Amino acid sequence: MSVIEIERLTKRYGRRLGIDNLTLRVDAGELFGFLGPNGSGKTTAIRVLMGLLRADAGGARVAGYDCWKAGHRVKAEVGYLPGDLRLYPWLTCTAALRIAGRARRRDLRRPGLELAELFDLEPTVRAGQMSRGMRQKLGLILALAHRPRVLILDEPAAALDPLVQETLFGVLRERAQAGDTVFFSSHTLSEVERLCDRVAILRAGRLMADETLAALRSRAGRTVTILWRRDSDPGTIAPPPVLRVHQREGHRWRATLTGPATAFARWSVGQPIEDLSIGQADLNRLFQQYYSHPERNP
Amino acid sequence: MNRGLIEKALREVWLTTLVFGAGLAGFEILLTLILPDLFSQSASMLQLKIVKTFLRALMGTQIGDMLGPEMVLSLAWVHPVVLALVWGHAITLGSRLPAGEIESGTIDVLLSWPLSRPRIYLAHALVGLAAGTVVLLMALTASLSAGRFVEPAFRTAPDMLGRIFVNLWCLYAAVGGVTSWIAAMSSHRSRAVGVAFGLLLASFLLNFLVQFWPPAEKIAFLSILTYYRPLQILQAGAWPLGDLLVLLGLAVIGSLAGALVFARRSICTT
Repeated sequence: MSVIEIERLTKRYGRRLGIDNLTLRVDAGELFGFLGPNGSGKTTAIRVLMGLLRADAGGARVAGYDCWKAGHRVKAEVGYLPGDLRLYPWLTCTAALRIAGRARRRDLRRPGLELAELFDLEPTVRAGQMSRGMRQKLGLILALAHRPRVLILDEPAAALDPLVQETLFGVLRERAQAGDTVFFSSHTLSEVERLCDRVAILRAGRLMADETLAALRSRAGRTVTILWRRDSDPGTIAPPPVLRVHQREGHRWRATLTGPATAFARWSVGQPIEDLSIGQADLNRLFQQYYSHPERNP
Repeated sequence: MNRGLIEKALREVWLTTLVFGAGLAGFEILLTLILPDLFSQSASMLQLKIVKTFLRALMGTQIGDMLGPEMVLSLAWVHPVVLALVWGHAITLGSRLPAGEIESGTIDVLLSWPLSRPRIYLAHALVGLAAGTVVLLMALTASLSAGRFVEPAFRTAPDMLGRIFVNLWCLYAAVGGVTSWIAAMSSHRSRAVGVAFGLLLASFLLNFLVQFWPPAEKIAFLSILTYYRPLQILQAGAWPLGDLLVLLGLAVIGSLAGALVFARRSICTT
């Protein structure tokens, strides 16, 4: 069952298009990555989901509630971390948990302080005296403490050190395993790759791709490096159809395997190869194509 | 009423309220203590036509030959500094939501709680009114306390002071309500404050102009100060019910319009 449903959503800022006819569904228990370069419309879509922005056309639902008409019901189900998090300068973690707990009519102190310990955040420091990373931790604690069914996190790993990022990803994986939905936006591929099952890629307000990471990897091709024997002449060697060569540096080729590995293996048997390595799928190259050529699907 | 919202709103206004309240109370003490002496020493000067005209403009009403203690007493409640402090507090608090929260970027956190926008608005409006009441009560207490040290003729009777207090409270609520309407349409607090201040300044100047230029009387009803006349209260000794209703009407219309705009608008922080 879809927990997040975005249907033909369009949002304009005057003459500028924020989101163009976006349709997206995220199921319960999914770790969903929402990728796109800066200004691609990720935050706009998230703000529509949070009932902060009103759609010009189409709409969005979370947990069955219309995000605009029943925004307060949506927020009861959602833990939200804004992309550009700003906190009241007087707010401490303890005060935030007390106030948010009263607003949500539940005691958040215990789960919140457990999260503060997990993220290594001093609970009595005021937000005005916190570093950006500390404020981000407090924002995450406020998003997670009430144990929401849906987590909508706009670039949550920004400003966090690698250790805390790993801790956060661990928490998010646990939540997803327990059936909660994680909607995770980022402009960094590696973050999404480490965490998510499925990815949507946004470019200039348009959906460029919505696939599982496994499907994207199979399309992305794997990186291949071939080192030819010194006595060979690589200039005379024709690559097989499954191999796209990007770089020829003397006796070294860098290429992408775009077809079955068996076909490549058969071809390589008769070649004067000294060394050969086949790496991971090169998602970076695929994403760069999505990012830079909106009109072309790789 | 949600306790979390109330606590958050109170946490934000208490210091501003104390500062404005202390300032207003201090100024009321000063005026209550020095005005009677000033009045006695400058009795002949007060008969000058130009001085009378200026006093009339300040009081917003005909004073004729009534240059008595009532005028001195009412001056303590219409002095520009007093009005500036009362309006300053109302504008400061009225412009917090949503303009102030959008400008500071904290609106996202506030609106991530499962509370409807009208409810959030109402909580802030109620806290604003309560804070305004505290400021005015501090001034009232100061005026009553300082009154003990002046001649009995220059002491305002508590029931009269109560009427002036209610009239001033309604003025505060009207300014706060209209400011919150302006703030609901704006994403910049400074802009909302500027517009509200501009309207009040125009209102103040119109009230002044009416006293000098009779044709302006036709539009005198547009000035908010038309509905706040402490001298008339002291002279007539009656409740200014019409004025109170107009000010309360402005407060209610401003607040409702603000709530409606806030509930329907998109919130952009960039």
